This record gives sequence, C-alpha cells and structure tokens, in this order.
Amino acid sequence: MTTSDPKGSAEPTEIEVVSTDSELRIGVFPCMCGKNIGAVVDIEAVAEYSKTLPGVVLVQVNRYTCADPGQREIEEAIKEHGLNRVVVASCSPTMHEDTFRKAVKAAGLNPYLCIMANIREHVSWVHRDNPEAATQKAKDLVAMSVAKAATLEAQKELDVPVTQAALVVGAGVAGMQAALDLADSGFKVNLVEKQPTIGGIMAILDKVFPQNDCSICILGPKMVDVAKHPNINLITMAEVETISGYVGNFDVRVKQRARYVDIDKCTACGDCVEVCPVDVPSRTDQNLTWQKAIQIPFPQAVPSSYFIDQDTCLGMDLIRCGKCIDRCEQEAIVSSDTARYIDFEVGVIILATGFNPASPEKIPRLGWGRYPNVITSLEFERLINAAGPTEGKLVRPSDLTKPHSVAIAQCVGSRNIDTRMNCSNFCCAESVKCALLIKEHYPDTEVTIYYQDLRMHGKYFEEQYLKAREEGVKFVRGRVGEIQQYPKTKNLRVSVEDTTHNRLEMLDFDMVILSMGAEGQSGNFPIPISCTSDSFYIESHPKLRPVDTSSAGVFICGGAESPKDIRDSVIQASAAAGRAAIILQKGRYPIEALSARIMQDKCNRCGTCEKRCPYGAISQDGTGKFTVTGALCQACGTCAGDCPQDAIYMPNFTNEQIEAQIQIALAENPEDKIVAFACNYCSYRGSDLAGVSRMQYPTNARVIRSICSGRYSTKFAQKAFELGAGAVLYSGCHLPADCHFQTGNHWMAKREPRIRGWMKRNNIDDERFRVEWVSASEGKKWQTIMTEMAEVTERFKKSKPKPKKPSAKPKKKTEPKTKAKPKKKTATKPTKATKAKSSTKKSTTKKKGGK
Amino acid sequence: MTDEGRNQELEELRKAGRPCFQCGICASSCPVFRVAPEMNPRLAVDSVVSEGHVPVEGNEWLCSYCLMCEERCPMGVSLAEILIGIKNISSREGKAPKDFVESGEALLASGCLSPQSNRSDKKRVDLGLPDLPQPDLEQVKLIFEATGAYEVLEKNRAAAKEEAE
Repeated sequence: MTTSDPKGSAEPTEIEVVSTDSELRIGVFPCMCGKNIGAVVDIEAVAEYSKTLPGVVLVQVNRYTCADPGQREIEEAIKEHGLNRVVVASCSPTMHEDTFRKAVKAAGLNPYLCIMANIREHVSWVHRDNPEAATQKAKDLVAMSVAKAATLEAQKELDVPVTQAALVVGAGVAGMQAALDLADSGFKVNLVEKQPTIGGIMAILDKVFPQNDCSICILGPKMVDVAKHPNINLITMAEVETISGYVGNFDVRVKQRARYVDIDKCTACGDCVEVCPVDVPSRTDQNLTWQKAIQIPFPQAVPSSYFIDQDTCLGMDLIRCGKCIDRCEQEAIVSSDTARYIDFEVGVIILATGFNPASPEKIPRLGWGRYPNVITSLEFERLINAAGPTEGKLVRPSDLTKPHSVAIAQCVGSRNIDTRMNCSNFCCAESVKCALLIKEHYPDTEVTIYYQDLRMHGKYFEEQYLKAREEGVKFVRGRVGEIQQYPKTKNLRVSVEDTTHNRLEMLDFDMVILSMGAEGQSGNFPIPISCTSDSFYIESHPKLRPVDTSSAGVFICGGAESPKDIRDSVIQASAAAGRAAIILQKGRYPIEALSARIMQDKCNRCGTCEKRCPYGAISQDGTGKFTVTGALCQACGTCAGDCPQDAIYMPNFTNEQIEAQIQIALAENPEDKIVAFACNYCSYRGSDLAGVSRMQYPTNARVIRSICSGRYSTKFAQKAFELGAGAVLYSGCHLPADCHFQTGNHWMAKREPRIRGWMKRNNIDDERFRVEWVSASEGKKWQTIMTEMAEVTERFKKSKPKPKKPSAKPKKKTEPKTKAKPKKKTATKPTKATKAKSSTKKSTTKKKGGK
Repeated sequence: MTDEGRNQELEELRKAGRPCFQCGICASSCPVFRVAPEMNPRLAVDSVVSEGHVPVEGNEWLCSYCLMCEERCPMGVSLAEILIGIKNISSREGKAPKDFVESGEALLASGCLSPQSNRSDKKRVDLGLPDLPQPDLEQVKLIFEATGAYEVLEKNRAAAKEEAE
C-alpha cells in the first residue's frame, strides 16, 4: 500500500476556517482509492470544493484512506487539529464505515461522529463516461455528508447486565435438550412444562424412525437427567403468565396449577389408583382406554409422582370421597393444594412449546370419530406400544380383532388450503415406520400406503423406504377421497384414485390409519413474537438466524418453530441453547446506540409509534407517556417515519439531517435531480452492487441512506418536490418478508397512496415518484430504475416552463458552470483526462452497438 | 368467437387450474368417475394446465355438476367451473354432443327442456296442481341472443350436417 498523497499531507497547513459555529471542526478526507475513484473523479477539485463548505477546517486527500497509514493520518489529524467531526469521502459505508469509526474511536472521538460519502460505488464506478458530471456529483455527496456531519451527535455505546439464568418453556424433547445444554454449560435453567410430566409427544411414541429404536428407552434416561440436574429447576403443570423486561433482564411469572400430590413424598406405588372410583379417558393413550382421577401419565413419568385431575375428582374430603387420602401410606396427598405463582428473573428465553397433532375432526369425509376403525397415527402408536392399552397387540377398536389389511392415508390435515397449507415434514417417514412395525409384528397383514408425494428426505430414510418395499408394503400414489364403513362388519371401504394408472380404487380394509400432520400452537405467549398464519413462531431470518426471534434474547426451537422430527428438534434445541449461551456467557448485552427517543414536549400521545414498532420496544407508562426501551429497539425508525408530530428522535437519521441532505442535493438544478432514498440492508446494497458491477447509469441521482425504508416519512418526498426535485425514489426490501426489520417496508408501502394523493393535489406528475423494491442482489434493477427515472426528469424538464422555476434556473445554472469548469481545467492531470475520455468513447460506442 | 377470445378463455382456465397438484381427491370423490372412468376431472384439469388445450374426447359433458370435487379439493380449485369452461370452449367449436344440441333446440322452440305431455298435464289436474305457466318464447330468444347461444347452436348444427355428409 502506498503512503498518503504528498499533496494531501501538505494540505493541513492551509487550513480554511469557514465555520460560523466556532465549535464545529469538520475534517474531510477524500480518498482516491488508487485509480478507482481518482481516474474518474477529479479528487483535487472535490478537495478544493470541500474547503469552502461550512464547518470544514481540514481537507486531506489520501490515495488509500482505508490502509493503515490512511487511518493513522485520520487519527493524527483529529488530535492535531482538534477535529470533532470526520467525513471520509471514499467507498460505500457498508464497506468501511466500521473501519473508520474504529480509527476515529482510537483517536478519542466518539465513533458516531464519523460519516462517509460514497463517491466510489455511487460515482466513479457508475459514471465512468462522464468525469465532469461525476466530479460534480462527488462534490454534492461530500456537501451532503458535511451538512449531515454538522448535526451528528455523539452516541453512547451502552450495555446492560445479563441475569445468568434461562427460561425454557416446554419440556418435550427439544425443551429438555435446550435445558440440559444450558445447564451443562453452568447456567441456571427454569424449565416450565404445562403437563404433569416432561417428555412431550416423544414419550408416548412406540418406536422412532429411521432406526426404529424404542422411544421411551432413549428418552427416559434423558428425562431423569433433567430431573436430577442441579442447575435445572423443573416446574411442571405450569404456564408462563407474564413476562416483562428485555434481553438480559426478563421478569417472569409462572402460574403452577395445583397437583394435590406432594412430589417429594409420592413413591408412585399406585395404591391410590386401586381405590379411586372415578374413570376418565386416558390422555396418554389417546382416549383409547380409561384412567383414574388420580393418575400418572405413564410409568416413566418425570416427576415420578401422581396427580389428581381436578375436573373429575369427586372431592378430597371424607364426605365426598377422599379414599386416596385414606389409602396413601406416605401421606403424600395434599387436599389443600392451590395454584401458586412463581416469580424469577432470567436473561434469555427459549420457547420449545411444540406443536399439536392435527385433529381429524375437521375432515368428515375420512370418518374419524364416526368409524371406530379409523384411527390416527398417534392412536396407532399407543396400540402398537407394549405399554399401551392393548399391551402392544394391534387390534381393531370396534371388535378387538387383529386387522388383516390396513390402509395408511397420507397428508391428513396437511397440504390443504383449508386446514394447513404446508407439508408437516415428519408424517411420511412416520407412516413408513408404522407400516414396518405392522409387518414386523404381523407379517401376513397387508399394508397399503396412499400417498401423494412420499417425502423421505432425511438421513437413512430412503433405506427405510426400501425396506418397507421389500417387506411388501404397497405404495399407491393418490390421496384418499373418502372412507365409508360397512355398518355390520365395521370394515372400511377406501376410495382413492390411483393417479399413476388413472383408475379408481375402491378397496376394503379392516383398519385405516390417518397420518396426521401438525398444527402450530404459538401465539398466546406473553411476549411479542410474530407467528405464521398456521401458528408457528417466525424466526428472525429463515436461513441465517433460524433459532433467533425478532425479540432479542428470545429463541425458538423444536415443533414451536415448524413441524419437525425428533432429530431436527434436538439439533435446533442445541442451536438455540448455543445462541442463548452467547448472551449469558458474556454477562453484558450491548444496546443499540442509535435507538429511538421520544421527545415528550412534541408528543401528542396518539400511540401510532407503539403500533408501528415490530419489537414491542415502545410502551405507554401509567401517566400516558410513551417511552422507548433501548434494549428492545433496533433503530429501524418506522415509528419516526409515521409520527404525525415529528416527535421521535432517530439519532444520526433525524428529520433535520435528512432534510438538510435533501436541501443540499437540490441546491442546484433541482429539476435535474433524483432524490433516491435507499435502505441500508437491501436497496443501498443493491445500489452498491450496481457500482461493484460497474453498471453505468445517468449521474443525476443523489442517494440518501437510511437504516430501513420504514424511516422514509411522507414529508421527505414532499420536501424534495417542494424544492423542485425532478424525481423522488423510495426503495426498500422486497415485500412481503425481506425487510431486515420485519415490517418497515409494509409501512412505507402504506405511505405511497398518501404521497400520491398529495402529489395530485399539487399537480405533480405521478411518474416523478416511484416506490421500488430492490434487494442487495439487484444491481441491474437499480441501474434500470436510475436510467428510467433520468428519462422522467428529462421529460419533466422539457414540460416545465412554469413561472417559478425558470426565474430560479438561470441563476443557478450559470453558477455551477463557472464554478466547476475553471477548477477542473486547472486541477485535472492530463493523463487522467485522456484516459477518462478514451474510456468514454469506448463505452459510448459499445452502448450504441448494443442498442 | 375469435381465436384471441378463445385463447384468453383458455388462459383463464389454466390460471384457475394451476394450483392443482394432481392428488386425485377429486376423482376419488366424483360419483360420475365411479361409473364412467373416462370422465376424470383431474385429467381434464391436467390437459388444460400442462398441455394447454381442452381435451378432445368430450368426456367433460358427463359431469353432473354435483360440486363434490370443489368441496374436497385441498387446493381450492374450482374443478366444476373449469369443466364448464371446457364445455363452453368445445361447444363453440361445434363439438357439443348431439343430445345437448337437441336440448338447446328444444329450449329455443318450446321454452323448456323436456316437452309438456298430455299425461303430465292430466296428472297435475288429478293432483289438484295449477297449470304450468307457459314459457315466454320472446324472452328465451332474448337470452339466446344475449348469450351467443344462437351462434353456438348454428355451429353445432353445421358440424352435425358435415358429419352426416
């Protein structure tokens, strides 16, 4: 890397103090980036121009500002000249903003007082044909950044302490795994389970695919581990009532229902069951058999203790019943037990609330509930389970005889726009396993699987499918249309179109198993996390942050996120525990420095901001005051974009700063200019990509960067048009789901009609305003938009002989010409000019040829 | 009907049928398919969607419009409507089956699909039912004109004649 330009280092001696504000000392560092910028933009002219800008006390050109020597120069300049704002005119802020902020910080200045002007991706790389206009654009961009720099404020980088404990909600296999991982890492875990035992759905399965190992045999030891772990506080029969606070500091209140049995005293001897006179359908056995009102879900339950079903128990006193109390030698039954609240603090939350097996009740054509021999896959699990109601003998519920032919119907409750649109992921493998289990126990039973698409996508799944075929399981492609029952024999007639052979199959079976999908059950958890339409929690990013949620410090795993099998649940649980441990282990959590603040004197308490915030960061206190919780705010600015009172202060993206940028962008020949707003994560990166790909487009766009498109207030477009802008672009991430901040683009889209209405009232052509969705990969689209909008400004210029503008035009038009031209002539080096010109010719001829 | 109109109509049918993933619930629920396996609503939709033309066999005319297929379709495809659309297109090409053309002729001539017989009139008198209202043929003609049924009839008559020759 070369050291700094000799001219640049000589410059500090010629300091020009133009600032009216004696406090303001801005340093501008235009970078040549070798030839990347220097070959097109006349960097000396930009430097000269920068010196005339208000507040600028130092201009220093560098060949490579980002290189070590360049950074050191900035540091030295800050110390030497007492700079209090730094503007680096070089590449995109997405590239080196962090680099320069660190350099500035090293010199003792607040990093948020450093800002960049993008004269590479937005100028030199995309305007190679037109060095003159490119230089003018570079000057404008520097001026815009300097104007913004003048009002930048130092931001504190704060962090909050993190309580070294976790809450895991749901103790199915996913919740248990997450709790064990965190507990093994040394953190306290509060594991809350709704049911009287942990284990979830896995605990009631017989064998689990693809190896068909015994479910409870592999889960049981894990359940015991959870119960015995010194770091796990297991709270069963409980639900989370309220959660307040934020990442690192959640206050949790859990409501635990009365169990009426002392866990510590109960030895699970089962004496009480012998005397209990009340029969209730067994939940564990899918209502296929009876249990008593005092019950234990299954022998391996953890905690290993009975509980009393309050709804069916006759009463725990001697007048009504009380037999169990009499019988219990341990005196474990506590008739006075009541629901209680348990309060604790945690730093992170993992949601592992699981899914509900879909209910076939809503599908009358398949006859479940009316025809006894139509059973669900979970009911089958209990029938084939040695611990189930039939001790592992597969029988028909109608007459308890062994079925000779069994049909399995796939996609019940899934892949149907009326119930659940999506595939339930695990049911194909589950059904093949069921078929194999039947074949294993009763090889002479005929098993037919009616499937639509058999999705055996997992590791070892295809082997299992092959095995099922070898065992003689019949596979027929076609979804079951309807099931009818023979009234006397209770046999079933299944109507399916065999879609491979285009013929109707109406065959009789002794039993039909409905392969049930999963239904989400999220949505009623007391913390705002968005859910899909079928009630599964939505992850922060579907690919790169699959276990994070939009709420910092809250993670999801297992069936709560989407239907999945045991292996995937465990993988995801460990991932969630790992992500949570990052926060816990550090002990402190940084707060977004640029979080929104509400100016109470301006706020009229309309509450719009609270509705806009996707993070629930804005809340109203007892006095009606709205405040922002810094630890929850992600600084998208959607609240500020819609605040009717302009009462929300978005640090370093304030209304004043953005309006100042608009004003400077439109200072000269406004009718020529496009004011383009681009959001940080998609559109701005898309525009950068256009630069990186050297896609040439007209020079009249002035891009204003914002964190999210939700920040673009209607006022910005209005202000730009009032100042005579030729065109205005609002660009954001693609609808519906690309927004980095979830909903910013939606709220921006909702402002479009309001802006168009205002334009109509003010006789502004509709085509002069555009809303576009540009992703970070759509450099080409950015180029197209810029070219099309340049045509719009061209048309607008021609069609506009209005009295107001022409009077302003000649003055402004003549000024820049006289200003810009002489400077260029003196400053440009001959080699650069010729090179630039030759490249111009080349590209113009290319363009013509192409067209 | 112009080619363009026909293509547009076909395009709309294709659009309506695109969500179909060929699961076969419609066919297995169809009462006609049970007795006449050539009438398969799934394959009718498939030929429109993936082959881009209405099926030439004319089996759709067997559809009894019971709407069972629509009721059970997991993708919410309006199969019966697609079948009606197919019938509309093929009838405009003169491919309507003979009995449907005859019904059309009868409707035009007498205002009802099945002619009133003396026997049924007598039965009504016996049962003390009022006389059937007489159809207004002018109104029927207006409907035929407005819906373009005249041209369809004409086309089918011509096609029948051609075939006879």
